[in-house]
Amino acid sequence: MPNTGPAIVVDKLCKYYGANKAVDNISFTVKSGEVFAFLGPNGAGKSTTAEVIETIRVPTSGTVTVLGMDVTKHKAKVVRRIGVLPQNFSSFDRITVRESLQYFARVFGCRADVDALMDLTDLRHKSGAPFNTLSGGLKQRLGIAIALVSDPEIVFLDEPTTGLDPHARHQIWDVLRGLKARGKTVFLTTHYMEEAELLADTVAIIASGRIVAMDSPAKLTEEHAEQTRLTLTSIDATAVGLIRSLGFSPIPKGNDSLSVPIKTPDDVRRILAEIERAGLALGGLDVRKPNLEEVFLKLTKTPAVSAQVRAA
Amino acid sequence: MSPRIIAANLGVRLKSFYRERSAMFFTFAFPVILVLVFGTIFTKPEHLNFDLPVQDNSRSEASSRLLEALAAGDAFTVKPVPVAVDATQYAKEHKLNLLLVIPKNFEVLQKQRVVGPHAGVPVPLDYVYDPSSTAVETKIQLLHAIVAAANQKATGSPPAITLNAVSILSERYRFIEFFVPGIIAMAIMTSCLSSVLNMNAELLQKGILRKLATTPITRADWLASSIVYQLILAVVSTAAILLVSYFVFDVRLHIGIWLPLILVVEVVAFTGIGMLLTPFAREAESASAVANAFLFPMMFLSGTFFPVEMMPAFLQTFAKLLPLYYVNEALRSAMIFVDDAATLRSVGVTAAFAAVVFVAGTFRTRWDEST
Ligand SMILES: Nc1ncnc2c1ncn2[C@@H]1O[C@H](COP(=O)(O)OP(=O)(O)OP(=O)(O)O)[C@@H](O)[C@H]1O
Ligand SMILES: [Mg+2]
Repeated sequence: MPNTGPAIVVDKLCKYYGANKAVDNISFTVKSGEVFAFLGPNGAGKSTTAEVIETIRVPTSGTVTVLGMDVTKHKAKVVRRIGVLPQNFSSFDRITVRESLQYFARVFGCRADVDALMDLTDLRHKSGAPFNTLSGGLKQRLGIAIALVSDPEIVFLDEPTTGLDPHARHQIWDVLRGLKARGKTVFLTTHYMEEAELLADTVAIIASGRIVAMDSPAKLTEEHAEQTRLTLTSIDATAVGLIRSLGFSPIPKGNDSLSVPIKTPDDVRRILAEIERAGLALGGLDVRKPNLEEVFLKLTKTPAVSAQVRAA
Repeated sequence: MSPRIIAANLGVRLKSFYRERSAMFFTFAFPVILVLVFGTIFTKPEHLNFDLPVQDNSRSEASSRLLEALAAGDAFTVKPVPVAVDATQYAKEHKLNLLLVIPKNFEVLQKQRVVGPHAGVPVPLDYVYDPSSTAVETKIQLLHAIVAAANQKATGSPPAITLNAVSILSERYRFIEFFVPGIIAMAIMTSCLSSVLNMNAELLQKGILRKLATTPITRADWLASSIVYQLILAVVSTAAILLVSYFVFDVRLHIGIWLPLILVVEVVAFTGIGMLLTPFAREAESASAVANAFLFPMMFLSGTFFPVEMMPAFLQTFAKLLPLYYVNEALRSAMIFVDDAATLRSVGVTAAFAAVVFVAGTFRTRWDEST
């Protein structure tokens, strides 16, 4: 049955491990065909949430619906339509890359093009290598290939590019773009902001089991990050008054540097023109756009962590 | 349950097994080596023959007759010991566990026994022995038997009682015949239990189970694959043990419909126990420990290496609580005694046990949350 509604609906999900509350009453919706990125510090509850959606963990309370089916009631149907790369993926030690792919294809009862999957993840040259002889990155790539073996509608990737070299990472990003182009829904867990910014349609930031922000990467940065800043280095102290007179609020940063929050490219031009006119010396300049990393650090800063940082 | 998935699992497990040489060794070669070693040690030669060191201080006609009698039965080969030495010292130095000493006045005493004031007084014959030696018992018994026969002959009267041996078995039954079914049962038990525990611990520890849990594989598929896999190993290992014991020790056991049936029941029983023990063996290291803690008592107390009847009464009672005891009984009744009624009883007990642990094991194993 084709699914026209949302791919995933999580409603008031809680998950305890004994007394430890790993997921604390979270709700969100993943639209069909979007790349949904889950960001959060270590232990925030990302994998736990993903595993509940993937039907491998039972929710303590709340409901999770995948392609219109409740995961606790329709496990058998749900697993046939999703593909999963678990965190720290591992497979049978003495089984080769090709055999692993064939095994999972057989388990799903599908006619997978094993060669095409190996080409997609650049594993063709390792097709005869047993799993325990693969490097960490190659294992990860095999895990991604296996996640795609049944041509699933939703692909869950828990830290797919952790431990990959830059080439492999870009290659995986291409794979993800390809999936998106083919209308697949991707649920991506990552620690790389760049990855989320580049690929995700929606980003959810989770801290201590709760979602603290959720929106498109652009909206999130706009909303939560500080403004774009122009940094001026080796500049005369009199510049402070000068820039202030233009209506900006420069912040002295030491080392004869000034940081000026700005809004538009025209602001830069105005400030530089004024400095030029006054004949002040200027060592260098740098314009920094706000990014997701800033938003992430700001939103996931816990009191305990800040205390630690202060102590250090 | 899907035959396609079971076949896929089976393929992966057999390939892994084949590529893991140490697993191959422990499953197939180890039991065969046990059969070879124990068979060689315990298979008694047709004619038991021991060396018997004798210090003949008499060197008379009477002592020669005695030595002849000792050598006659084929049981002993008489080895002369120098007359001058101290017998005890000599036995110690030469590590002899038995040394017969014929006294200097042997002939005189023997004559006196017949006539004169000392008539009827038996002639003393000393032997020096090492009580810490286990093999000496048999030798002393043989010695006693020969001396008794000599006594009886000397009195000239016919024996009052004679013993005729009638075996309950149509064929000869040697230790090795007893031993082989025990090794078959042990090999299957060990393979099932350690492989289930190690496999589960490995799948869990490495997180493979987490991946498998997101596929259409069900718990029933997984269990069925495990059982079929173990059955294949059981058949190969049993065949290897039977062939080696046939060709090396000429062990001819009855192989009928019971044997495959017993293998199936045993595999299900111990796979079930393996699943029940899985929660206690979540890491590879503890898996081996848990398996051994279970395997060793089972092996020694269930009559694998020696008959349960040799143990003290309370241990015998305990043995009858162990599933391996019934597997051993079943295999021996089927393969040695060819006793259908006894086999059926033991198979029945094992099957009931298998059903209980298997169902309990199935419920205990949580596919999802255990990850
Ligand atoms: N099997 C488990 N048993 C008990 N507690 C667990 C288990 N798995 C995770 N937890 C706990 O649940 C919380 C959330 O863990 P989770 O693995 O979901 O975090 P995460 O966001 O994926 O972290 P990371 O970025 O390090 O992968 C943590 O406090 C963790 O210690
Ligand atoms: Mg995680």
